[in-house]
Amino acid sequence: MKELLTPRKLVVRTASAGIVLIAAMFVCLLIGTESISLKAVFHGGGELSAVNPDYEIFVKVRLPRIILAAIVGAALACSGVVFQALLRNPLADPYILGISSGAGLGAIIAVLSGFNWTLWGRSPIAIFAFAGALGTVWLVWFIGRLTGKFHVTGLLLAGVVVNAFFSAVIMFLTSVAKSQQVHATIFWLMGNMTEEDFFVLWIGGGCVLAGILALFNISPQLNVISFGEDDAKSIGVNTARIQIIAFGIAAFITAIAVSLSGLIGFVGLVVPHAVRLVFGPDHRQLFPLSGIVGAIFLVVADTLARIIVAPAQLPVGVVTAIVGGPFFLVLLVRHSKKVGWLK
Amino acid sequence: MKKWLWLFVLIVCWTGAGLAIFDFQQEQNRNDTPLLTQADRIVSMAPNLTEILFALGLEERIVGVTLDSDYPSAATKKTKMGTFWQPNIEAVIAAKPDLVITLGFDQQRNLAERLKRIGFNSLTVNIEKVSDLFEAIEIIGSAISKQSEAYLLVGDIMEKLNKLSALVGTNDRVKVLWVVQRKPLRVAGRDTFINEMIELAGGENAIGPTVHKYPPIGAEQVIACNPDVIIEPAMNQENLTKQQASALQYWSKFKNVPALINKQVYVIPADTVTRLGPRLYEGTMTIARCLRPELFAN
Amino acid sequence: MSGIIEVENLSFSYAPLSTVLKNISFEVMSGTFLAVAGPNGAGKSTLLNLLCGMLVPKSGTIRIDAVAIESYKTDDLAKKVAVVRQESVPVFGFSVIEMVLMARTPHFGQLGFESKADREIANEALEATDTAQFALRPLGSLSSGERQRVFIARALAQNTAILLLDEPTSFLDLKHQVGIYDLLKATQLEKGKTIVAVTHDINLAAQYADEVLLLGADSSYNIGKIEDILFPEQIEKVFGIRTFAGSVGQEKFFLPLGKLAKDSRQINSKPNSSQQK
Repeated sequence: MKELLTPRKLVVRTASAGIVLIAAMFVCLLIGTESISLKAVFHGGGELSAVNPDYEIFVKVRLPRIILAAIVGAALACSGVVFQALLRNPLADPYILGISSGAGLGAIIAVLSGFNWTLWGRSPIAIFAFAGALGTVWLVWFIGRLTGKFHVTGLLLAGVVVNAFFSAVIMFLTSVAKSQQVHATIFWLMGNMTEEDFFVLWIGGGCVLAGILALFNISPQLNVISFGEDDAKSIGVNTARIQIIAFGIAAFITAIAVSLSGLIGFVGLVVPHAVRLVFGPDHRQLFPLSGIVGAIFLVVADTLARIIVAPAQLPVGVVTAIVGGPFFLVLLVRHSKKVGWLK
Repeated sequence: MKKWLWLFVLIVCWTGAGLAIFDFQQEQNRNDTPLLTQADRIVSMAPNLTEILFALGLEERIVGVTLDSDYPSAATKKTKMGTFWQPNIEAVIAAKPDLVITLGFDQQRNLAERLKRIGFNSLTVNIEKVSDLFEAIEIIGSAISKQSEAYLLVGDIMEKLNKLSALVGTNDRVKVLWVVQRKPLRVAGRDTFINEMIELAGGENAIGPTVHKYPPIGAEQVIACNPDVIIEPAMNQENLTKQQASALQYWSKFKNVPALINKQVYVIPADTVTRLGPRLYEGTMTIARCLRPELFAN
Repeated sequence: MSGIIEVENLSFSYAPLSTVLKNISFEVMSGTFLAVAGPNGAGKSTLLNLLCGMLVPKSGTIRIDAVAIESYKTDDLAKKVAVVRQESVPVFGFSVIEMVLMARTPHFGQLGFESKADREIANEALEATDTAQFALRPLGSLSSGERQRVFIARALAQNTAILLLDEPTSFLDLKHQVGIYDLLKATQLEKGKTIVAVTHDINLAAQYADEVLLLGADSSYNIGKIEDILFPEQIEKVFGIRTFAGSVGQEKFFLPLGKLAKDSRQINSKPNSSQQK
């Protein structure tokens, strides 16, 4: 029994979720392998000879990392919402159309080419991964269109083919590369959160936020499209245009996320599902809430990744899978009991 | 059209605001900070770097090492800074170091960059070949005003190695197959420091030049390269004799290869041969003993 | 006075060699109930898809409200024509009211939310289709018939002058079949909507529609008032079956009988006489 969504409900839910996010970020800022005291942090940074480690850790290590986790989590979750809606498939995730193998290919090409320059402090791997991700999406779209208009099956198949082909190329390049380069690529691809410049975070965060707002703007149309494409046209939704816009934005914010932190799985699959199971499939709600829940999820997962096996670190993708999987299973079981299985 | 104009203006404003607030922090810290001549708090991010620091007599000044820095035993008592592959930047900062020394490969170089950006001194040395090792010892030495100790250390190692080379001679090199991993079979190639140690010890690599440093090879090549000796660094430190016996059994399927005919299959302690550090001589000596057991029988 | 739907020399084929519709021309006046009948493959659904702009004709023109269909933008066309297809369960669990409100999407405000007027229209549509009690339930929990009514409610909520339906009662039981036709007729009479319904049931068509368009498998077609178009010889020619015709009151009924049906002998062997008892 779902009540209808009203603007006020949406604002209340979004605001509450936002508060939970800020609280989670704050708590996670205080958790890490080193214990720091908040009071010491407020004393500010010292000069080089008498540096205040609590401040340094808090402001220069943890804060950028947590902000990054929030940005990436929000981007991946909202992108997952889009792909699930466009492909009308609850099992879709942001990487289903080749973004992961495209980013991986970009990364390994960057490593092999031995480029050392940086653009605004972004390493060549990040830039090539971003380009690889976007380029692959375009390629998949192009191949999908060859199968005739915007046919969902065509897109999915094109994605499978491109993924398979690029994965093979990656394996080939990996086998001829020197071992250190390979290690560096794989390490990067496994997903990791390191401190970025605040400027980079500002721009990346701005892009992701803009993307999510744009997606919110077309969410009524996405509601209709996720219902059925023919239906959508009869209702007056310009499906071709909306699909291109949604697809493009989702690919863009995913590419940003991947270039910032490597490939982190599960967020784009589980978070939209979970939010949908609890709040319903209305995309006007899914976008803001999935974004915030995705951010919370990744911030917490990253913090856990750092403390579970300290002083070593787990790749954050491992934690998202371990935490996400069972949680989602519980949610699914409880919900399906409520609804009863549909034919 | 108006929508796009607004979008463009918004992007410019956002970027401008970002630039104003964060004014290219990274540029400030990109200049190399001058190396201190007096570093009282040193952190080592690799086991061989730790060994070098101890060998230079800097034990009291070391405030942090990685988890795998296990030699000498005094190193195990130092505060842990994460591992060689996964350094823990928070622990490093908490140790308030004057100088952080890292190796040159990606994760460690990345760590050094991050520390520099935050404002800490870091020194990156590449140690991939024997000559790199000597150079690194001298670089570290001059970074912390221990030039004379560094010079002495390098000289000592070189002298011992020269004596060993003279002893084993350069003729009649023993063919060595150095197995790094059994499944899939990987060996050390000619472009490795292990190969250098083998040559110093009077041997030569059974495998010819390859593209990879640690090439995967097939069973055919094992037979074709006809090794006189097979050496495997030990998996763990327990019961080397037992490991040796099981290795002999494992390789016995290549029964027509000289190494098996003469039962020259050795499992040796790994630390001194997989870590390129001050115990280079000890490691090379161990290898020499495997190659010419009769020479060192006493 | 021209019809709200004008079709002129319309031709369409899916594959280059097989023509489905050939040079069809007809006109539907505003406020008429037109039934479209014919054997499988005659092109009924194709015609419907052409009329709502999903397919593009190979030749000929279609005009909706005197404007060529190609020149309509998607949302403008949706304000004139609504389509009801076979009910289905969507992948995501939307509720009945959410689905019906989707019809109002082109009218949503800047923030993407429905206005009070939109909500009223949706509620009216739910009342009219007797589905208001399901409003908050997920679509998947309804029966086929209830769901089909919700699909009709959504089309009604679009508030269009024209309603196109593709076999709206195919899998429904008798009660719901009649219920839906009653609903459609009420909508036509009370709101003046133009109804075009593809149907297999020529008897219900006879009782409810004003006109019928018979499409033949050989691309032939006939359109006109019920009594002019529906009679046993025509039905036999188009559908290839013989029927026992009888009179109910205002209209006739047609009972298709095959060779082994119990009363097959009641059908006169002479093709030109009609049965009257």
